[in-house]
Amino acid sequence: MGNRLESRVPSEDLARSGVLVRIPSALLSFTGGQDEILLDAADLASVLARLDEAFPGIGDRIVDEAGQLRQFVNVFVNAELIRAPPGRVALSPGDEVHILPSVAGGSLG
Amino acid sequence: MMRPVMEGTSVYHMILDPRDGRTVYAAAPSPAEQWGPAVYRGPLGGSLKSTKGAPKFDPESGLAVSRIWHVEPGTPQEPETVYVGVEPAALFRSRDRGDTWEGFPALNYHPGRKDWQGGFGGLCAHSVLVDPRNPRHLLVGISAVGTWESKDGGATWAPKNENVRAEFLPNKYPETGQCVHHLVWDSAGDGSIFHQNHCGTYHRSPEGGKWTEVTKGLPSDFGFAMAADASVGHTAYVAPLVGAENRVPPKGQLAVWKTTNAGRTWRRFTKGLPGPGAFMGVLREGLSTDSADPTGVYVGTNTGQLYASRDAGESWKQITPNLPPILSVSAGTAL
Repeated sequence: MGNRLESRVPSEDLARSGVLVRIPSALLSFTGGQDEILLDAADLASVLARLDEAFPGIGDRIVDEAGQLRQFVNVFVNAELIRAPPGRVALSPGDEVHILPSVAGGSLG
Repeated sequence: MMRPVMEGTSVYHMILDPRDGRTVYAAAPSPAEQWGPAVYRGPLGGSLKSTKGAPKFDPESGLAVSRIWHVEPGTPQEPETVYVGVEPAALFRSRDRGDTWEGFPALNYHPGRKDWQGGFGGLCAHSVLVDPRNPRHLLVGISAVGTWESKDGGATWAPKNENVRAEFLPNKYPETGQCVHHLVWDSAGDGSIFHQNHCGTYHRSPEGGKWTEVTKGLPSDFGFAMAADASVGHTAYVAPLVGAENRVPPKGQLAVWKTTNAGRTWRRFTKGLPGPGAFMGVLREGLSTDSADPTGVYVGTNTGQLYASRDAGESWKQITPNLPPILSVSAGTAL
């Protein structure tokens, strides 16, 4: 699975309960500062949907209205960069989802 | 006094709402380019926050708003109405100061859309005109698609590009496909419009119909920035550039050109503006005027320099040389 960042969620809870989602600093305003969210979800689309249910508006920052991941938003499952549609990315308990801004995006000025 | 607002964010357009002189709107990504577009709102002098919702296409359309290019207030009679022009070309309206949005299906999902290609800067709806005399009268300028007009509140739209050149197409005067760069109302208040295009500068009379080309007297066909005098009719300012392949002022001298007769003649103003040896551009929203008498005119460059004139363009002073590339200059009257 590759190297993992340390999490405040005990590993036994993670393995039992579901998926750990790491929130980037740019989106912490949506989660009240929580940078790790534990969710029960079978695929990436469900993760994103449940994130948005819990923290309204965060979903729009990650996925556009056509259902595509925003061009300069990278989503990793464990160490794997996801390019497939979120609904086709199956997840297992213990997986980590990292949402990160691409270094290719950024400000014009 | 200058202070940063929305520091680090690429703000494509920012305005002080002329209807109350207190509310600022901005079009910018939220919170940074990677995370998608948003409209921001806040009090003048305070902090701006993204509104509750951003304009979005219908999910089944397969389209997604990638950038908001222009914010336009509705008429004074609709103080909470705001329009935005977005990329890929579309128009949206909010009736609640930007918290919720509705699109204009007849334009946004026009059957010809599949052939819309967009210019170098993207397929952007960058100019939105709302007739202050009649809110059902709207115009939109879309790069490399043309000017579109509605007289029924956006229910239907028609291309309005008669007599506008498209030198990059086999048919030089097509129905659509012209690369309109900027549209502004003529302050005469009679419905006439100034138009800066990739291929020339134009004016349309109150009767509508064909555009009159008024490029003669200007140094080139090409430019983006255009501002109408806020008070004096048939008066507008432009900042011509050499051309599409060389987006700097002619002869290495930044100049603002002014017409006072709807483009029949133009005067060049350079006093206090950099040059010779000045090779910078002025972007689409880089010119603005205020409602003072004499008119204040402001120009910002893509090298981060801001200049102001207190005498309707006759002379200029540098306000600051030390900004990032200036995407938007907007003058307003605080109340």
